[in-house]
Amino acid sequence: MAIEVLIFYLLAGVAIAAAAGVVLARNPVHSAVSLVLSFINVAAIYVVLRAEFLAVAQIIVYTGAIIVLVLFVLMLVQQQDLPEFHGGRPLRRAVGFLLGLALLAEVAAAILTRSLRGAPGSWTPEAVAAVGGNIQAIGRELYSAYMLPIQATALLLLAATIGALFLARPELIEERLAVARRLFTISLAHPRGVDTLQPVAELPAPQDGQLKPAGGDRSLVMARTAEEFTEQPAWGESRR
Amino acid sequence: MSELTTAHFLFLSAALFIIGMVGVLTRRNVLIIFMCVELMLNAVNVTFIGFAWEQNALTGQIFALFVIAVAAAEAVIGLGIVMALSRRLDTVDIDEVRQLRE
Repeated sequence: MAIEVLIFYLLAGVAIAAAAGVVLARNPVHSAVSLVLSFINVAAIYVVLRAEFLAVAQIIVYTGAIIVLVLFVLMLVQQQDLPEFHGGRPLRRAVGFLLGLALLAEVAAAILTRSLRGAPGSWTPEAVAAVGGNIQAIGRELYSAYMLPIQATALLLLAATIGALFLARPELIEERLAVARRLFTISLAHPRGVDTLQPVAELPAPQDGQLKPAGGDRSLVMARTAEEFTEQPAWGESRR
Repeated sequence: MSELTTAHFLFLSAALFIIGMVGVLTRRNVLIIFMCVELMLNAVNVTFIGFAWEQNALTGQIFALFVIAVAAAEAVIGLGIVMALSRRLDTVDIDEVRQLRE
């Protein structure tokens, strides 16, 4: 057995095991670390496949940028211990697993019976070496035959940037109040010793009219006036 | 098989894709579902590059490059939605999320 095949089996085995770790890990941070391991092994397989530029791009974009983004979001959002690993939804897990096995069988049948092969292209290893390497060859191809798609990609990234800015914009006070009214119980307190209640400001009702039932897991937000409460983020002062 | 063939890469790609798919179908944490989607995109890249390697063509590699660019854009928007979701509904459990509007 050629050393190349052994290397491939090693890389592929670690990549698949790490991918399984992404799905099986209970802690999302462990999932992210497994994802890094899987991406790096796949990048090494790209090198075996003579795609050196893509291997580097994979490491920079995926393990460099996207995973850092995922980890930041993991730290920012509230983590709950979801009951999915405490026996919840066994039917869904069984169905997902069976669907996966069925698809694997179908794809394996398709791969093993594959007979159609396209005409080989002109970028043989010698031709790639003649223009100076993989990066030069990709650059020539990309900026001649794929000029319009690469411009469209620039537009796509611009649109994604604008979309991210829109999603991350500060919320309007009315939106905050609507969220707080649905998730929390707002109590308009008054200064100690003063028995006259300040006039209760009207809080806007949530647009869909859905309120969580009172009591139970609703946390209490204390505020002297509705306006004062809105100066803080609704979730900032009411974290359990 | 004592030599590397395209089938090796296709099976690797299928395995990665199906693991990602099972993750999307079974997990409830929206961030883990997002990571599984990235895993599936990456598996498709393996197929593209494997075919490019087999055919001595660069088209597959260039397509994989575009997939990486689209995945980056998708990551930005997807994580923005996750942030907005956790701010507004205070959860990352997709079973709790039934509508995108307030």
